[in-house]
Amino acid sequence: MTWSDVGWLILSVAIFIGFINFVVLALTYLERKFIGRAQGRYGPTRTGPFGLFQPIADVIKLMSKEDVLPARTDKAAFWLAPMAVFVPAFVIWVSIPFTRDIAIRNLEMGLLFIFAVSGLSIVGMIMAGWGSFNKYAMLGGARAAAQLISYEIPLIIGVLGVAMISQSLDLRVIVAEQGTWFIILQPLAFFVVFTAGLAEVGRAPFDIPFAESEVVGGPFVEYSGMHWSMFFLAEYANTFLVAVLITLLFLGGWRGIGPATGWGEDVMMAFWFFSKTMVVVLVIFWIRTALPRFRIDQVMALAWKFLIPLSFLNLLLTGFYLFYGWSDWSISLMSLAVLLSAYYAVMRRRRSQIPRPTMVKVPVRRGRVLG
Amino acid sequence: MIGIFRGLMVTIATVFKKPVTVQYPDGDPIKIPGKKSTRRVHLPLSPRYMGFPALLWDDRVDEPACTGCLVCMRYCPTECITVTMKDNPLHAEGKSSRRKIVDNFEIRMERCILCAICVEVCNFEAIAMTDFHEEANLSRGGLVATKEDLFRMGRDYQKRAGIVVGSDSAEESEEPEE
Repeated sequence: MTWSDVGWLILSVAIFIGFINFVVLALTYLERKFIGRAQGRYGPTRTGPFGLFQPIADVIKLMSKEDVLPARTDKAAFWLAPMAVFVPAFVIWVSIPFTRDIAIRNLEMGLLFIFAVSGLSIVGMIMAGWGSFNKYAMLGGARAAAQLISYEIPLIIGVLGVAMISQSLDLRVIVAEQGTWFIILQPLAFFVVFTAGLAEVGRAPFDIPFAESEVVGGPFVEYSGMHWSMFFLAEYANTFLVAVLITLLFLGGWRGIGPATGWGEDVMMAFWFFSKTMVVVLVIFWIRTALPRFRIDQVMALAWKFLIPLSFLNLLLTGFYLFYGWSDWSISLMSLAVLLSAYYAVMRRRRSQIPRPTMVKVPVRRGRVLG
Repeated sequence: MIGIFRGLMVTIATVFKKPVTVQYPDGDPIKIPGKKSTRRVHLPLSPRYMGFPALLWDDRVDEPACTGCLVCMRYCPTECITVTMKDNPLHAEGKSSRRKIVDNFEIRMERCILCAICVEVCNFEAIAMTDFHEEANLSRGGLVATKEDLFRMGRDYQKRAGIVVGSDSAEESEEPEE
């Protein structure tokens, strides 16, 4: 490795980090605007045209805020926790290819690297929860640990199906293998990975580690100013990461209609990649507008009783498909059938548990109604 | 699951509807007759909306209905009202039945809690809760509503709400002529 290589690497890392920060700012604006519209309001309108400068105003506000260190905290854990969450969230982007040719370092074991590094952020959550000397933070950290560790299993096993079909952990190869998108070939895995991915980054309806009404913001309660904004950046970077992964693994990455050679190809690849990613991001926001938050026992039950069996079933199906060389449509049909029957079984079980409403005679109140 | 999709459909349908937010005070400004400033469009006020208190005008004799009796000032819980009284010149001319009339009347809007106790205790129905609420000001002194402000607000409100300083109650409290 020569000096120019090192210089090039540092430059590209700087560009990528700047890019990710920009994306995070754009996502916060997009989310506020979209959720506002979904709730029949405008969202931010006061800062600049259409409130476009709202993220910048937020950044200025966060940077000028005091960084409070509460009394009786574990100082080392408290100050290092934002780093422990922030660094993995940004290190992951090193191995993400944005088009066939644009990536800082395309790793042959890219998928493994991504999940290995993203697993590290849990440590930061627990450190923040422990270091804050706050009951809510502690509870939030414990919840984060429970949820993130549980959901890593279905996430990774669900992704394994994709890796098996494409015979590679290299994201570029996985995309290159998607003549038919893997969402068609593996709807079951898509469902599992999407749900588990939402839970991994703590998006609604799986935001129990950060639930405001229960644990007042979870591990981040005691943080303010720049350290809080590091958590915030990591959270949105992770949300974007989930969308990117879904795009790469199931929606054909940068594959799309467009010219096949030269400059146009690169531009079209980037276009398809980002438009697919944006659609997934919008779906994530959309889900947030409609679904109420799960209870913690429901979240754990969903992971252990539902998603993990389904992900193993998907692994089994994919194994049979590869071993016996079944046709493509058969695996997608079987995958769908498993999904639908699982849904049917859950609904049946729920129906049998809920007591039917019965007619009750309401006593008629006589006399004048007060009030 | 069906419930989930139903909820998702509701939210995505709302995205494509016009938001219900009324952009007050950013809507189109409307000129208020008889005043230099403009008023912004907001949602219609409820008929019983309680804004700032204002003094009513007796159109029959063309003088304020307030006699300056100080009852409101004494009952005001936040002590935001200041009243002084004077002899009524119109009474000396025989045009009015009010022997005394208000000389100066000030309400300090920043202290007023809009409790309507002054309206409650007024013996002459000379003060009323209007629907004025856009009296934001950049200086503290601007928050003091003078007699002229109160009459302007009161007459405007009387015109819009159709309040005539009641002939019945006024005649009841009328003092016998000498």
